[in-house]
Amino acid sequence: MMDFLDYLGRNYADIFAHTIEHMQLLGVSLTIAVLIGVPLGIYLTTNEQLASTVLQAASIILTIPSIALFGVMIPILSTIGQGIGFLPAVIALILYSQLPIIRNTYTAINNVDPNIRDAAKGIGMTTLQRLWKVEIPNGMPLIMAGVRTATVLSIGIGAIAAFIGSGGLGVLIDMGISRGNQNMVLAGAIAISILAIAADFGLKKIQVKFSPKGI
Amino acid sequence: MIEFTNVSKTYPGGVKAIDDVSLTIEHGEFVVLLGPSGCGKTTLLRMVNQLEDITEGSIAVEGKNIHDLNKIDMRREIGYVIQSNGLFPNMTIEENVMVVPNLLGWSKEKRAERFDYLMDLIGMPPENYRGSFPHELSGGQQQRIGVARALAADPPVMLMDEPFGALDPIIRSRIQEEFMDIQKKLKKTILFVSHDIDEAIKLADKIVLLKDGEIQQFDRPAELLNRPVNDFVSEFVGEDSVLKSLNLYQVKDLQATLDLPAVEGSPDGKVFHPHDSLRHVLAHLLHPSRQYVYVEGEDGTTNGPVSVEHIEAFVREITA
Amino acid sequence: MNTKAFIAWVVKITFWVLIAAFFWWTISNNLFSQLLENPDQFLGLLGRHLQIVLISSSMALATAIPAGILLTRPKFRKYEWIVVNTANLGQTIPSLAILALAMGFFGIGIQAAIFALYVYSLLPILQNTIAGLKSVDPAAKDAATGMGMTPAQILFKIELPMAASSMIAGIRTAIVLNIGTTALAYLIGGGGLGVWIFTGIQLFDNTYLISGAVPVTLLAITADQFFRFLQLFLVPKGIRKAQKAAAAAA
Ligand SMILES: Nc1ncnc2c1ncn2[C@@H]1O[C@H](COP(=O)(O)OP(=O)(O)OP(=O)(O)O)[C@@H](O)[C@H]1O
Ligand SMILES: [Mg+2]
Repeated sequence: MMDFLDYLGRNYADIFAHTIEHMQLLGVSLTIAVLIGVPLGIYLTTNEQLASTVLQAASIILTIPSIALFGVMIPILSTIGQGIGFLPAVIALILYSQLPIIRNTYTAINNVDPNIRDAAKGIGMTTLQRLWKVEIPNGMPLIMAGVRTATVLSIGIGAIAAFIGSGGLGVLIDMGISRGNQNMVLAGAIAISILAIAADFGLKKIQVKFSPKGI
Repeated sequence: MIEFTNVSKTYPGGVKAIDDVSLTIEHGEFVVLLGPSGCGKTTLLRMVNQLEDITEGSIAVEGKNIHDLNKIDMRREIGYVIQSNGLFPNMTIEENVMVVPNLLGWSKEKRAERFDYLMDLIGMPPENYRGSFPHELSGGQQQRIGVARALAADPPVMLMDEPFGALDPIIRSRIQEEFMDIQKKLKKTILFVSHDIDEAIKLADKIVLLKDGEIQQFDRPAELLNRPVNDFVSEFVGEDSVLKSLNLYQVKDLQATLDLPAVEGSPDGKVFHPHDSLRHVLAHLLHPSRQYVYVEGEDGTTNGPVSVEHIEAFVREITA
Repeated sequence: MNTKAFIAWVVKITFWVLIAAFFWWTISNNLFSQLLENPDQFLGLLGRHLQIVLISSSMALATAIPAGILLTRPKFRKYEWIVVNTANLGQTIPSLAILALAMGFFGIGIQAAIFALYVYSLLPILQNTIAGLKSVDPAAKDAATGMGMTPAQILFKIELPMAASSMIAGIRTAIVLNIGTTALAYLIGGGGLGVWIFTGIQLFDNTYLISGAVPVTLLAITADQFFRFLQLFLVPKGIRKAQKAAAAAA
């Protein structure tokens, strides 16, 4: 125990740097994932057939074990010289984030109370106005919940991505294991857990903020 | 027969839901527990099949103190119907109805036969519903199945907690009538919770009016309406209690109290039957185009004329 | 065919074409060579993989289902929220972290891997068992009690059939995650198909990567589909239909 605290004392700067790296990976991949997933989820509400195909595909992708996905992506991406590193990690995180984001957006927009939608139509809003003023604000809590799930998922998978050279907190576990340094492994595991729990907690708070008053 | 002797119930939180209730429900009697929300109707009912413990006093069913009976066994001998029907969504209609016979270990043939009988009784063709599931039925049908399920093992006593409360008025009144027909045939001892005075008047042999866990009046519906014992009762039965009570009297009751002369027949051909309710008769008399009506007497004679004054005299008689 | 249906069709075809192209590419580049040339080693790794999955998930089932049942009984209900909240929190912790923490306690070896996977599988099953049992209509339970069913009869004839759908969903999540996480067990000395994947990463050898990653993926997808099928099979017809009707109405 003392040993561990000692390790933290000597390496906090390093751990902090890995945390920042981890968050960079998350920042990039989640931004792209949201930019793809939310519009796609909205579009899917207008095309039932496509919705079932896309949701099925996304749910199959989510079933693929992350280390196996990396294993499959390395040979593919090495054909363009990007087999390991940041890029495969970002692609994987984007793929895994799609199901929660698309599904929640799709459900959120579809579930807007038909009476509210009717009222919006009745007062002469165009489809786009309805989307911006009624459907998205009302669906926001659910969309945010999808983003939260995707974030927590990405933090964990981002840790595994360290094994293919993405950097981040997983590096501590990777190096700790190969050097036989228990403290390093522990520090990595605890830091990842804290990051995930904090992200979950923080995004829950934001989710509540986004709920329209009166819901 | 159900006997409550000085029964009280205090919930763990300290709410005294039932306060010293003594009451006897005779064999074959249909008794309605009536009262405002929170007065303790459900509590009193659920103490009978030991879903709630009794704090003080005792309850006897068919002469046996329920405290001495095995809870599980006694419940199988008491029919139980609740408002939100409580059908089991994972079971077919037949399995639902046959739950208690199954628990009692009836043979397959006996169960099948019983199912057919019960479904005929509630007016739903057995072969159409045997394999259906509860959610495929309408609310009214589900509630009928709830009744059939409670009747399955032919229990002498039935407990019913607002069984028709969730139905819309038209369906409710139809099921009430069907249920009265069933009760006429089966003569069960029934304890029935309602907060609807019209339902109570329609169904009950006797009504228990409760307030804050205490009995205010235990009487036949007509008595309750026409001779309320205190202000709470008269307020509860409402200002139209006289009109309501006319539902409970028939032309023959009027004939029994008044001497009506025989006539040659009704001028317009309309003759009321001895079993028509007086409310129905009154409704006709109040029509501006009418002053008199005629009723059918003994041996096919026609009696009359009956006027509003006759009804008034009758009302004075029954409320005296 | 209208435009929307056409788009849906194109996307679907593209998805399958990509998968077919992937397999064509792996086969034409002989990327399954490890698997084909060392079938004994492959079977050994697969066997170990399945062993870890089966042991840890049956332990999880044997703990989580009884615990979920106990925690929804009146006597223990007061502890339910603590357990549910702990399970929620526990599920937020990434799998790699759990493996690493288990290694901290048990040292390197298969015990650490099995323990970590056990804990990791426990949570979704427990959570879904509790959620499923809690969602049972109280009126149905009240009616069952009032008709003289014993608590055991109510549990087996009413509560468990009605909770089955949610419970199997929990088991499915747990086992699919378990299969994937077992691929990481190599890191803490657990063995399994992860051995080839990590060897492939370390040696930059695509044949190891594909021969390890594709079977793990197929295993996970098969398990997922199997439990979806089981859900259809085991969930009582009345409930399935009722759920469908409710979903259609929503
Ligand atoms: N389980 C319980 N614990 C504590 N108090 C209870 C419980 N059940 C009922 N009560 C209280 O006991 C009183 C009687 O309740 P009960 O359910 O018997 O009323 P009710 O006449 O059936 O009302 P309603 O017409 O609304 O169904 C109420 O004040 C109620 O709040
Ligand atoms: Mg009640």
